[in-house]
Amino acid sequence: MTQMTAKRYVDIYEAYDRFYEGERVREDQWDYSIVPTNAALMKEKYDISFGPDIIPTDEDLCERLFLAGVDMLLTTGFYNTDLGRVLHITEEELFEGLKMAPKKLSLGSGKDRVKCKARRGNARRKPVIQGGPTGAPVSEDIFVPMIKSYAQEPVVDTIVSGVLNTVNNHPATTNTPWEIRATMAEIRYVREACLMSQRPGMCI
Amino acid sequence: MKPFDAHECSQLNEMKMDMSGLNMLAGWGASGDVIMMEQMPIFGGYIGDIEETTICDVATMIASFVIFDCDIHLDGPIHIRWGTTTTRETLKIAAHAAAALDLNTDFLLANQYYTLAGPCTEMCLLETAAQAITDTASGRELLSGVASSKGVSQDKTTGMEARMMGEAALATCGMEIQEVNRVLDRILELYENNFGKAPQGKRFQDCYNVKEVEPSEEYIDLYDDTIKTLLRCGIEL
Repeated sequence: MTQMTAKRYVDIYEAYDRFYEGERVREDQWDYSIVPTNAALMKEKYDISFGPDIIPTDEDLCERLFLAGVDMLLTTGFYNTDLGRVLHITEEELFEGLKMAPKKLSLGSGKDRVKCKARRGNARRKPVIQGGPTGAPVSEDIFVPMIKSYAQEPVVDTIVSGVLNTVNNHPATTNTPWEIRATMAEIRYVREACLMSQRPGMCI
Repeated sequence: MKPFDAHECSQLNEMKMDMSGLNMLAGWGASGDVIMMEQMPIFGGYIGDIEETTICDVATMIASFVIFDCDIHLDGPIHIRWGTTTTRETLKIAAHAAAALDLNTDFLLANQYYTLAGPCTEMCLLETAAQAITDTASGRELLSGVASSKGVSQDKTTGMEARMMGEAALATCGMEIQEVNRVLDRILELYENNFGKAPQGKRFQDCYNVKEVEPSEEYIDLYDDTIKTLLRCGIEL
């Protein structure tokens, strides 16, 4: 008889162990064969076909799409590029894991704190607005004013940073100590921009 | 970083992860930090068509919560040819994936913004508005942007694009979905044929007074004109 109850949800440590003990697969096989083949199978199995609408109005289609995504994850698993191995979880573990997902979060502090709560469909409550360059490259000399241009917008609730490509005029080369220095500078600069906008508790 | 901030970690395309990411997640998880997990499925790559890409997107979002213990998933379906999240196809992928998960879970879902046009152009603001309308109406909880000029051009991002993202979201809340779809069709018709000749826009230094941190008169006028354009499309900011 199939067991219906998971012993517990899969945490990050269990995920590593499963990757480590998982089936060995070549990355090109994963990319060019396993993932696209399974995605095509799920499309057919769950009869997934989109109409002209950007936002779906067919609840049955949304239900089938969710089941297709669940099946895709259970059937395919997840690939670890460093280990070259595949993790699998069971259906019971997946649904146990769904219960662990937070329904609300608190971002920021003091009067700048915002709540991020699950919305339902096109609810009247607005989503949290996270403003910022979203990882785009920003020059060191304008970093603070650029971030301030977001922090001072009343509609913006939290900040997403840009990327300094120099720090103290030195290239912030990846995988070098200069990358760490640049990251620390970004955090200081973003905090300064929030302070200058009278919003010191903004989540960054 | 402080306990009330958020930490971001990215999956790899498609349905992949590396040890560096796992180790970061373990550290943040042990510290009780808020974890935002990113994954931007590529439309037009080896996954297949719109539907296959969306199925993959749903699977990766579920994985973020049930395997990697994240608190909020940051999506961003991206077009392989244009490198943007604002095409008709990528908006459709984002909307369908969000709606499917919204119906079946309480996941906190975010989406990020990569426009093709640069700051201080109507196309950039229209691309931003179209995505904000899509994300809001399909039930997302957080909108993150805007990486104008595809997020690759030095200094080509400004607060005005985030203003448009937020104001378009506010204007969309509570609208009936069929009406939202009609509005989206009208906005997309205004820019989707211009991807081959999208305006590069201006750098922050060229459309803001850097000292005062104020947008230029030109950008304010353009923003006002875009609001009028959006009103003609059926949405009032």
